[in-house]
Amino acid sequence: MAQLNESLKIPCKEEVEFSVAFRWQHWIRALSIVVLVISGFYLAYPFLSPPVNAEPTGFLYALFRSWHEIFGFILVAVILYKAFLFFFSKQHANERVSFKDFLNPSVWISQIKYYLLIEKHPAIKGAYNPLQFIAYVGFYIMIFLLILTGLILYSNVYHSGFGGLIYAPMKFFETLFGGLSTVRIFHHILTWGIILFVTVHVYMAIYNSVFGKEGGMDAIFSGRKWKKNH
Amino acid sequence: MENYDKSLKKIFTKRLQAVQKLPKIDGSKSIIDILEEKGISRRDFMKWASYMTAYLGLSSSFVPTVAKAAEVADRLPIIWLHMAECTGCSESLLRSDAPTIDSLIFDYISLEYHETIMAASGWQAEQNLEGAIEKYKGKYILMVEGGIPTKLDGHFLTLGAFAKTGQDVAKEAADGAAAIFAIGTCSSFGGIQAAAPNPTGAVPLSEITSKPVINVPGCPPSEKNIVGTLLHYILYGTLPALDAYNRPKWAYENRIHDLCERRGHFDAGEFVQSFGDEGAKKGYCLYKVGCKGPYTFNNCSKERFNQHTSWPIQAGHGCIGCSEPQFWDKMGPFEEPMADHLFHGPFGGLGADATVDKIGISLLTITAIGIGAHAAISAVKPPKE
Repeated sequence: MAQLNESLKIPCKEEVEFSVAFRWQHWIRALSIVVLVISGFYLAYPFLSPPVNAEPTGFLYALFRSWHEIFGFILVAVILYKAFLFFFSKQHANERVSFKDFLNPSVWISQIKYYLLIEKHPAIKGAYNPLQFIAYVGFYIMIFLLILTGLILYSNVYHSGFGGLIYAPMKFFETLFGGLSTVRIFHHILTWGIILFVTVHVYMAIYNSVFGKEGGMDAIFSGRKWKKNH
Repeated sequence: MENYDKSLKKIFTKRLQAVQKLPKIDGSKSIIDILEEKGISRRDFMKWASYMTAYLGLSSSFVPTVAKAAEVADRLPIIWLHMAECTGCSESLLRSDAPTIDSLIFDYISLEYHETIMAASGWQAEQNLEGAIEKYKGKYILMVEGGIPTKLDGHFLTLGAFAKTGQDVAKEAADGAAAIFAIGTCSSFGGIQAAAPNPTGAVPLSEITSKPVINVPGCPPSEKNIVGTLLHYILYGTLPALDAYNRPKWAYENRIHDLCERRGHFDAGEFVQSFGDEGAKKGYCLYKVGCKGPYTFNNCSKERFNQHTSWPIQAGHGCIGCSEPQFWDKMGPFEEPMADHLFHGPFGGLGADATVDKIGISLLTITAIGIGAHAAISAVKPPKE
């Protein structure tokens, strides 16, 4: 369906980039990451002191830990859902198609040249360009390791229920990492990886929205992108 | 449960009968005689036995069995070797202000060879060791204290009149042992002398023998963990259930943190900010001044040291994680939380002594500068369309 952008008079084509499910999981994930990073830094180094209370009812550290765990499990659920969408959903085939561009070195080179302001943006087949794709692969590897180290730490705090269920397998990974202290350090290092990712991700999203002029940023809110007819 | 207890008791009885048939190795006095001589009544002894029973996770009907096991403990020959160590583990066991039942039993079990407490020296000591290894081949329990240096062909530790290396002595003794216990963190995991850069190439005992080694780490381990491991072996005749680092689960299954007396303050977010402050006086949690209890598996918070008198956290200093592998490298600095762990030298030494947060903030700053520069250049010279 060809439409006309009234103000600029540039012919654009409306394209559905992200489904409702995709957008929800993205924003729930974003919220979880913010809550997890803030509460995580508190757990690593408790920078707030609770108000003085004669009765032992102000469990501030435990409160931070609960929110950290609640949003941790929300993140686990959302990541599982996202993995399902990526691998199996027909509607999200455009994500999988990006893998073809990922394997094509000429797209890589043009994409890097675009960011170095030398060349035009290459035409890409799927939802993501190769640089974006590898950044997301890195992001999911980090998230996976964060979840794993998080569950190891969790199983050592809650010995029954779900914690008890995963205790034995998590013990295996705990030993693989080289003990609980190392697990904790890895969890902390990976957090910084996520912070760096989010910083670059937000910059790139704004950059492509400003210079791409296709409503790139709108896609994650409304799901729609306005492709210019090349 | 009842059936389980019954069959377990059958196993124990059989095992104890077998042990009892072994000839008493030296002296005419039994352990019970000696305890009485030292002023420990039968009643005290039984109290101790019920304590050890609970400690090993057995039901109270096993109290007489455990008492019996302690009584026949003098029939198992023990060889105790000192490698690269400080003798702190022996001290932990042998030197209390009033001798405990644990230490008395230990004094009078058949310690065939123990450099700290034996009378012999020089050639005579060598002969004792060789004699004991020969005479009790396949029957003795080997307890080793200290890490084993391997560099310079092991000559960093050279012992005795024959100038043997510690490595050779330990290997020889391990070959003929019925059971091998690594006493203390050095012998279990290499300990402090195995910390980076490990100039002597110190390794744990388990790396120089192919036989199973039961690790009883701690710097020092509590006397209860040492004697408990011995009693367990007398009762079962087999290895106890072990964790991934070969530590007996009955002692090392839970973290220090799990049963810590200051845990309430941890959850409440009440922390000692610096040693000697108001929080320290009130007994607040030591997490922010570096307690490594959350990463350390041991039973100090339950058992304490020196007849349950005290333990580091009660005395006002955080746990330093001494019963964990490579604790010296992994848990430091000891008076800072894990978040302030210093790395030895990432980025070719550039990042030496940096914390995760310092490295993270540096990378974030570099990223921000990069983003700012890219954005500014793009604003002047937009990308091609």
